Amino acid sequence: MTGGGDVLLEVRDLEVHFPIRSGVLLQRTVGHVRAVDGISLDVRRGTTLGLVGESGCGKSTLGRAVLRLVEPTGGSVRFDGVDLTTLSPEELRRSRRRMQMVFQDPMASLDPRQDVESLLVEPMRAHRLDGGPTAWRARVRELLGLVGLPSTAAAKYPHEFSGGQRQRIGIARAIALEPDLVIADEPVSALDVSVQAQVVNLLEELQERLGLTYVVIAHDLAVVRHISDEIGVMYLGALVEQSPSEQLYLQPLHPYTISLISAIPVPDPEVEDRRERILLAGDLPSPAAPPPGCRFHTRCPFRQPTRCDDEVPALRELAPGHRVACHWAEDVRDGRIVAAESAHDPTAAGTV
Amino acid sequence: MTLIAPGAGSAAGDPLEGPTATVDEHGTSLWRGALQRLRRDPFAITGALIVVVFVLVALFAPLLAPYAPAGAQWGNQVTPSDVPGPSADHLLGLDAFGSDLYTQLLFGARQSLIIGVVSTGLGLAVGALIGLLAGGIGGWVDVVLMRVVDVLLSIPSLLLAVSVAAVLGRTSISVMIAIAAAQVPIFARLLRGSLLAQRNADYVLAASSLGLRRRTVVLSHMLPNSLGPVIVQATLVLATATIEVAALSYLGLGEPNPTVAEWGRMLVKSQNRLETDPQLALLPGLLIALTALGFTLLGEALREALDPKFRR
Amino acid sequence: MTVPAVTLAARRREGTPLLSVRDLQVRFTRRGRAPVRAVDGVSFDVAPGQVVGLVGESGCGKSVTSLAVMGLLAPRGVEVEGEVLFEGQDLLALSSDELRELRGRDIAMVFQDPMTSLNPVVPVGTQVTEVLRRHAGMDRGQARDEAESLLERVGIPDPARRLKDYPHQLSGGMRQRALIAIALACKPRLLIADEPTTALDVTIQAQVLELLKQLVAETGTAMIMITHDLGVVAGICDEVNVMYAGRVVERAGRRELFASPRHQYTGGLLRSIPRLDAVRGGQLTPIPGSASDVLPWERGCAFAPRCSAQDADCLVPDLELTLDDVRPEHRLRCVHPVPPPGAAL
Repeated sequence: MTGGGDVLLEVRDLEVHFPIRSGVLLQRTVGHVRAVDGISLDVRRGTTLGLVGESGCGKSTLGRAVLRLVEPTGGSVRFDGVDLTTLSPEELRRSRRRMQMVFQDPMASLDPRQDVESLLVEPMRAHRLDGGPTAWRARVRELLGLVGLPSTAAAKYPHEFSGGQRQRIGIARAIALEPDLVIADEPVSALDVSVQAQVVNLLEELQERLGLTYVVIAHDLAVVRHISDEIGVMYLGALVEQSPSEQLYLQPLHPYTISLISAIPVPDPEVEDRRERILLAGDLPSPAAPPPGCRFHTRCPFRQPTRCDDEVPALRELAPGHRVACHWAEDVRDGRIVAAESAHDPTAAGTV
Repeated sequence: MTLIAPGAGSAAGDPLEGPTATVDEHGTSLWRGALQRLRRDPFAITGALIVVVFVLVALFAPLLAPYAPAGAQWGNQVTPSDVPGPSADHLLGLDAFGSDLYTQLLFGARQSLIIGVVSTGLGLAVGALIGLLAGGIGGWVDVVLMRVVDVLLSIPSLLLAVSVAAVLGRTSISVMIAIAAAQVPIFARLLRGSLLAQRNADYVLAASSLGLRRRTVVLSHMLPNSLGPVIVQATLVLATATIEVAALSYLGLGEPNPTVAEWGRMLVKSQNRLETDPQLALLPGLLIALTALGFTLLGEALREALDPKFRR
Repeated sequence: MTVPAVTLAARRREGTPLLSVRDLQVRFTRRGRAPVRAVDGVSFDVAPGQVVGLVGESGCGKSVTSLAVMGLLAPRGVEVEGEVLFEGQDLLALSSDELRELRGRDIAMVFQDPMTSLNPVVPVGTQVTEVLRRHAGMDRGQARDEAESLLERVGIPDPARRLKDYPHQLSGGMRQRALIAIALACKPRLLIADEPTTALDVTIQAQVLELLKQLVAETGTAMIMITHDLGVVAGICDEVNVMYAGRVVERAGRRELFASPRHQYTGGLLRSIPRLDAVRGGQLTPIPGSASDVLPWERGCAFAPRCSAQDADCLVPDLELTLDDVRPEHRLRCVHPVPPPGAAL
């Protein structure tokens, strides 16, 4: 890891395998969906780790497994030195005070029957915060101020707010208990483009003021890159690349990251017309039966005849803080291997 | 260049100020919003009107009725071939036994309401409790309870009612229990299903991520959010209950006291006079249908009003 | 009205338009509520082989515009006014039978969610051949062969086998391809794509956008691209209409618009999104408020409540979409436009 700051969250070989059951009366387990399949990473205090990947890559499950909202089937999660996977339900419940979550769809994650005050007071009551109801209500006003909502919002219900305001309420609730760690799962993707920046800025402000540590999970690499210090790229339940966020865009090393970056549309016709787009073949394989060897080899434009389909690549550190799980990363980086299906002029080429 | 410097002098009292427009003091809760939508729905208003009139009549039957309900005071005026029709003394004429038909119909509302409400309430309470235990606890509790409910559900409700009446004897109470017993599985399954649907909802996950106790999550989040369909169902069941009361009476399993007016029995007793005096069967039949319609309209409107899709 | 000017300019530039939308208005009327004006006087042209973008955020009226063009709005509770001229024929004046004949044959649509626009209980192949048999009058065998080649053309591997699959057996990207195949079945002259890639992952989005671009280039189909994603617009649209609160607030060619956004809303939007290719760091510049903070157009610029450049001058009733006098290839509806790059302030 690149220096500075102690490690707050330490994930080791984390696995979440969901059983696939079959049969009507006697349910037999016929296989497993390997949603998270052996992930290790560290998050330093006060920094932001971004997790990107496409739907089905397991990034949301990873976020939930870290908080044990989904039970991991293997590996460990150490939060400030304590292994969360060994805690009893009551110990876990109490430790939740220090780690919170922000959800994608604030409309779905806020109980529609509660007004804002009751939404915000609830976690304080559950953890018996000092001061009792009077102090809690004062704290509600303070929280609303922190997330930029008027104090009149306290008496209102979630459906009376716009999407951006609702997400502010979700964030206020997440910081109500003064947590150390906040895991934000697609915090802006349900919001209108013009409002996303407000929420991104709010998250950054709060991190600065409250010294929060973030894990931000999103599919939008541009947003993740903006907000994160480090980025992990996931594919089919595994971490394929991890790097400081500036470096990931400047020098992506894993073929999947390279393709992902080349596929993201940029709001600039000059860039769009010039760039070389690497189109991936086919679809994501089923996480119930990930391909052998490198998981990405079925779609990889840089695939080599050897090693790729029978040898699982380890996550190797190629540059300080920059880890990649590809046998041929150096050759790809240095241009010794080129993409098989690249289209210089997309409108003319018939690669699809 | 028609460029004007940005932010140049904005007029006092500018309507553009303050982008956050909503400023009223109190928010609109889900139920209050539903009520507002109900008030705009002509079907809901029609249903509510019917139900209110029905309840008022049931409550104030003694005040509204021109005569006492008991007995066939004018039995001597009724012959096997002729029942006196409307007259100055009797607004709707007499019934087949020589009682005032109007009085009987008013008091019949009372009986239907009591049996309907009590049996639905009982069915709802027991059913919801089973559903809550099954859906809230899950695991083997769920499996056992739901198999019991499945067995109950596989017995035709009328047959169930007949057996309860046979065991407990012919009283109003056994009628209520019979009808309630038939409703228990409906409510149990409905609430359980509704709870299960909530179990993976984001706000339930959010509640556990906040560190709320499981009991709090179930009782103060999952349960309230699962009650909507149950309440709608209760309204609809009230409609079928009034019909079932009538059906049980029709089969001779209803209230045994012949002096207690009840629409279903009035229907049965006038069967053999259907050709000569159709109003004797028609009027109670119509009232049964109308009451059922009222509750159904209200229930359907409620279902729509509570649907989150319509909320904004 | 600016109608004649717009038409003239478009004709000069693109030749006769295939589709010409004139002052389209859509109001939703609900019992006991004030009518909602979803589309409030929208005009634009689409020429053969041209990709015209309708861009905006949720509630700006872009999707309602496309549904009105297709005649797919529910007949009750909706009032549609204006003209939708397809080769000079007003679609709004057609009967529903005539319109149905036109849809699928001359005009086709691709929706955001392929799962809800495909019939879940009918095999994909049948859904393609159905269109071919009804609109192109093919017999069973011809339709089958044609369907197979269509699926192959949109990049569905092993088309013969895929024809027998049900929609749920296909992945999201494959479903969207199948939907595009259905839309293309009768070689429509106008394709309306309503957020066609929003539900898809970026790598799949890139594949589908590539496919759409190719189709326009090869067949000369005109296309209306409806999206909220400025990146998608930058890659595919020839002309862009930025919509806000039911009206077009800015219109320009793709390069022109991104090189020099003049409307405060467009400028604000471009400043607010983090760019992958920009230097990292610094705060984003958001647009304050939300899309619900609008002023009615008859009182002034609807964007004014959220605009950093607004002042009393912005309270012009029914601001017109006019030619920009600084950048003539540009139209905008703004009192205080963003200064063009290089202009002295």
